[in-house]
Amino acid sequence: MAAIKLGELATTVRSKNAGVNQVTFDIIFRTPQDYERARNSGALSRAAVARLYNVPPERISDFVEFDVANAIKFTLYRSQPGGSPGDWDMLGCQQYGPLLEVVIP
Amino acid sequence: MPPQQNLRILISTGHLGTSPSAPDSFHAGMATNPDVVVADGGSSDPGPVYLGENIGMGHFAREELELFLTATRKQGIPLIIGSARDAGTNAGVDEFVRIIQELAIEHRIPKFKLGYFYSEVPKEYLHRKFAAGETFMGLGGFPGLTVAEMEQATRVVAVAGVHPFLKLLEAGADVIIAGRCGDINFTAAPCIHAGFPEALAYHMGKMIECASLVAEPYMGKETVIGTITQNDIRITPYHPDQRCTVASAAGHSMYERENPYYEYTLGGMLDMRHCTYAQHDERTCRIAGAQWVPAQDLRVKLEGAKKVGERYMGFVGIRDPHIVRNVEQALEWCRTSVAKRFGKERYELYLHVFGKNGVLKELEPVKESKAHELGIVVEVLGDTPALTEKITDFAVRTFFFARIPGVKGTAGTAATTKLPMRATPGYVWNVNHTMPVADPLELFPTHLTEAGV
Repeated sequence: MAAIKLGELATTVRSKNAGVNQVTFDIIFRTPQDYERARNSGALSRAAVARLYNVPPERISDFVEFDVANAIKFTLYRSQPGGSPGDWDMLGCQQYGPLLEVVIP
Repeated sequence: MPPQQNLRILISTGHLGTSPSAPDSFHAGMATNPDVVVADGGSSDPGPVYLGENIGMGHFAREELELFLTATRKQGIPLIIGSARDAGTNAGVDEFVRIIQELAIEHRIPKFKLGYFYSEVPKEYLHRKFAAGETFMGLGGFPGLTVAEMEQATRVVAVAGVHPFLKLLEAGADVIIAGRCGDINFTAAPCIHAGFPEALAYHMGKMIECASLVAEPYMGKETVIGTITQNDIRITPYHPDQRCTVASAAGHSMYERENPYYEYTLGGMLDMRHCTYAQHDERTCRIAGAQWVPAQDLRVKLEGAKKVGERYMGFVGIRDPHIVRNVEQALEWCRTSVAKRFGKERYELYLHVFGKNGVLKELEPVKESKAHELGIVVEVLGDTPALTEKITDFAVRTFFFARIPGVKGTAGTAATTKLPMRATPGYVWNVNHTMPVADPLELFPTHLTEAGV
């Protein structure tokens, strides 16, 4: 199978506040096959997403493979609570951008 | 009386007042005679400013309340609004109650019962809790709350469960305006009031809290109706091009939460590990299997915001490719120049570089920007408006005079426009904790009055 960017493989890739001090990321696939391909590739593992966002693994508070929704979900602690001075994404809704470029082998 | 077979709840917005509900799907939904209309008036998502400053963010609250009030009174069904005016402060509740009363007279609506409750927590109450040795547990990585930190909060609200809603429904309220409450509770309450299982009631609250975001394709501000029975819940969108599918519903069940399986609220925890999702008809998803685990000890969530300072913002554009490539030097020049001139003052300076990492900051993996121009927002916080404006103006001008070796342009190294603009003061969340309570109603005094003619 040819490698593909996550932006082409997933149907939904989003990020949003989960409480005032965390941002949660949802990556949802249309079929169990696409979901399993992405999950098994390791390109979206807990360690891989920590590397992508250049944060230590302990900044990831939750990492869940959510089979019923064909989804991978992880949650990061923010560097400061949402809407603090210096924060330009108070809803956390544009933090997913880099995920779209991730290559799934 | 035999138990009611089902209860249908209509919702058209995930955040009342931010922009108007789409009228067509709202009226299409209302034409099917739902039993209740609900709307969420607020959230902590837009940041701490609204709680701290005691202001609202939306410009369409009155317009949406008018749509909801006239439609529900015409059909004689309850209207329930959660977290009035964004932060759910007492002033927000009072403003929404006043709007309802004004609209009722304007539209000559026959007399009805208007219930409301407050959520603000007096500081003296919190002092008594501290004195009694109660613990304030931090949420989302916050350390435990200290008295000193609590005292710095401009205002503290508690997040209500279903309890004050149930009390007002039992008293016969036709319209309820709530202070700060959990997003799932203004929907769960009428379901529980009508005798449906708590697990399904809370799960329906979760599924429809953002209206059409539970359906696909992505559309905001469109109407959906949630139907609860003794065995399941069903979600149906009313925009003709939307469907609620297994994928959209299961996907939404994990929305805005750190974990897809558990939802905590005052009174217990909703366990969604064993939920099932099935396509009920072309546009409707059927959901079952959630479990409700009542809490052994009641803990209420508190939210508080403290002021950091006055705030101004200025805007700078960079088009010289040499400066675009070496923008770090320009940023450093700005920071050191401001520190040199204003180092004795208390200030905070933030430089948001759009075209480089303005949104993601240190999380941005793209290190080499391909942008041919950069936009820099200069954000400054200080003790007084005058000083903050002065520092912002100075910081913007440092980009105009930035000393970067090799620059060809000698008539200004940044494009600027207008004067610095005053922004809302800066706040940070400083209370994000839970606290034990003996009675789930003790922080949420309810009131019942009349409106209409």
